[in-house]
Amino acid sequence: MKKRFDFSTLARSKVTWAVVAEALILLVCLFVRPDFFKISYQPTTGMLYGNLIDIVNRSSEITIIAMGMTLVIALGGTDLSVGALVAVSGAIALKFLRWDVTIYNTPGDYTVYPFILVLFVPLIVCTLMGLFNGFLIAKGDIQPIIATLILMVCGRGIAQILTNGKQFTTQYSPFRVIGQGSLFFLPMPIIITAVVIALVVLFVRKTAFGTFVEAVGINRKASRLSGINAQMIIFIVFALTGFLSGISGLIYSSRIMSNDSNNAGLNFEMDAILAVVIGGTSMTGGKFSLLGTVLGSIIIRTIVTLVYYFGIASEATMAFKAVIIAVVIVLQSEPVRNYFAKRGKAKAMLANGGMRG
Amino acid sequence: MPENNLLEMKQIEILFPGVKALDKVDFSLRAGEIHSLLGENGAGKSTLIKCLTGVHRMDTGTITLQGKEIHPQSPQHAMELGISTVYQEVNLCPNLTVAENIFVGRQPMRHGQIDWRTITKRAKELMARFHLNIDVSRPLSFYSTAIQQMVAIARAVDIKAKILILDEPTSSLDDNEVQLLFGVMRELKAEGMGIIFITHFLDQVFAISDRLTILRNGHLVGSFDISEISKVELVTQMIGKDMNTIFNLRRADVAPDAPFMLTASHIGAPGQVNDISITLKKGELIGFAGLLGSGRTETAELLFGATRMTSGQMELDGKQTDIKKPYDALMRGMAFCPEDRKRDGIIGDLSIRENISLAVQARRGFLHPLSLKEQNRLADKYIEALGIATPDAEKKIGELSGGNQQKVILARWMATDPKVLILDEPTRGIDIGAKAEIQRLMLEMCGNGVSVIFISSELDEIIRCSNRIIVMRDREKVAELDGETCTQEKILSIIAEGAATAGGEAQ
Repeated sequence: MKKRFDFSTLARSKVTWAVVAEALILLVCLFVRPDFFKISYQPTTGMLYGNLIDIVNRSSEITIIAMGMTLVIALGGTDLSVGALVAVSGAIALKFLRWDVTIYNTPGDYTVYPFILVLFVPLIVCTLMGLFNGFLIAKGDIQPIIATLILMVCGRGIAQILTNGKQFTTQYSPFRVIGQGSLFFLPMPIIITAVVIALVVLFVRKTAFGTFVEAVGINRKASRLSGINAQMIIFIVFALTGFLSGISGLIYSSRIMSNDSNNAGLNFEMDAILAVVIGGTSMTGGKFSLLGTVLGSIIIRTIVTLVYYFGIASEATMAFKAVIIAVVIVLQSEPVRNYFAKRGKAKAMLANGGMRG
Repeated sequence: MPENNLLEMKQIEILFPGVKALDKVDFSLRAGEIHSLLGENGAGKSTLIKCLTGVHRMDTGTITLQGKEIHPQSPQHAMELGISTVYQEVNLCPNLTVAENIFVGRQPMRHGQIDWRTITKRAKELMARFHLNIDVSRPLSFYSTAIQQMVAIARAVDIKAKILILDEPTSSLDDNEVQLLFGVMRELKAEGMGIIFITHFLDQVFAISDRLTILRNGHLVGSFDISEISKVELVTQMIGKDMNTIFNLRRADVAPDAPFMLTASHIGAPGQVNDISITLKKGELIGFAGLLGSGRTETAELLFGATRMTSGQMELDGKQTDIKKPYDALMRGMAFCPEDRKRDGIIGDLSIRENISLAVQARRGFLHPLSLKEQNRLADKYIEALGIATPDAEKKIGELSGGNQQKVILARWMATDPKVLILDEPTRGIDIGAKAEIQRLMLEMCGNGVSVIFISSELDEIIRCSNRIIVMRDREKVAELDGETCTQEKILSIIAEGAATAGGEAQ
């Protein structure tokens, strides 16, 4: 289908305004620090360094979770348990990274359990926890925000129990690769995130899954009457979100080479929801944009970077972040978008001699 | 006659991007008059009303209310001017009580607190005026659509309206409820209120209105006294075509030895229907007649698995089947267009293309997606075959008119090549041209060997199309009549028989 460039459609899209917001924030960063966009190569680690790389790298955990959160929100729900699942995932991974204390008494490059368990058990457990959410919501007809509140509250408790309330550390090098390694000159989290985004987008958009999610999110009853198995869609979406939280948890704990049941993934659910909203997906469900969400997550991280650059006192950080987010959200609001769309249209009409509806 | 005109709209013109929605339309309403506004979907009725209620701004023209020029800015403003509207879809809060709904936003206060006693008392009096003795402290959602509609009207009337606009108020009411509403309308008329009545039911137009105004494609066709015009003339004026040519339909031919497609024996579910038995031959069309709530819809939902049957058996195409959910029905070649297409049919934010391919896609499962090309082929095929009025297949279904939405839902199911098609009130709330179109399509499908179950509140439709008619009453099947020899009187008397024996029972 051919489509002519149309400013007003572009101005009406929330994703457009997310791009504008990101560009503005980066511009401010550049103003504060002229060398902001500089990227350098560090031969000792084989990695590229720079602010832009760092922003994308540090946004990985949220981006991965927000992929799942996008689908959850498209269904008309929210998943509050993702942050707690990050903690669970880290706790399980570190549990399997114990070593034989009768031989070594300091952390080092050793473990008793095979590394495969370190990777897969956390992911399986998080997927099961996602399924538990899905079960409550699909079968029990409990509102998602309530159903996922259960694991949000008790998830961290489970993580504490698993590690006996202790903070373990490790120096096992294969585990370090996940959060601190590199591939193709880029930090490993960026590579993992790129693979996750690609797989989720393929799964959602190359099959009819995305359409079914939208249909169920817009009108669950009509979808069911059209023969869509709405319950199964809900199960898959929540299980997927649990699984992605697990991946995020592995990256997080690999960065600190430790588990931290109290702080790992803290407030991740809020950042993930925010990323989805900035990315242009409505909280009422329905149409969604995965790439918008990626952008949303990067915007959030860029704001944090900006805060550091301004040298703002740490106690004012949150307030500052909130102000910028408020501006971004207002830029994306319906009246503002319509205002620009109309102005664009008027200009186009003048330019074309005034004869286009 | 302009001397006692309550409302006068002159030379109203409204431009939408690319189209003239209204082109120099005049409309006048007298005090103490019921004035019907008629026209097909898209003729400009709602645009005219929305202009009067301040939803749309008019580009040229004047509105005069009791001699004073007014410029309604918003529905709120229009209401303050004395123009109240009750829409087809009841826009009240289902979770609030009846009394709260009537008084929300203008609660009587006493000592700085809401005066609940007065609210309840006045709400009760108001409902009594509508001959409804209901518990006003129950939530609105507890009551039927008909009663909800009455509550909406009560609220509108209580705001000291001079003009009451009723936009398709009767489309979800049964005959008794319509009579009740008409009674109220006559009382309001006697009090000097001007009522604008919009409906697709022509019989009701002739039963209640004093004058009528016809619009077509945004133009004014004319205003007539009710005595000046006959029903046939009216339809001809509305659609610009002769009624007999559009309703020239022929019942489906069913071979006497045609195989049974669907046999349901003694099916039922608690709280739904009891012990219903139905047979349906290949290529046959059976009609379900009966009042709202008689069990027509419940039976259809049971057959399709929308509610799960707890007793009885079903045979489809000669094979014993167990249908637990709509997906099972879909996989076995059944299709179902639900009664409330807004709530249960359309996926509002998705495009026409996505809506049409939805059931086919659901049958294939999401891992075997239809390509965009296949979806477009399906969409284009049915947009053309059913005459769906849209610029392209990417338009959101929610933005279409009722008739076109119904056609899209029909297309969704036709695309699955069903063996059995169940249509629950497919012609409700759509204009007469689209109605005829849908009936024609239905019969055409029968000709292609599809078996159809057709549910409608309009008996003439049922009689015109059905081979056999099943009459339902009080959640039971009470009669099975031959379509050729059946008359409206016969069906009505069967329905009324039960009403007489079960008479006096409160709603």
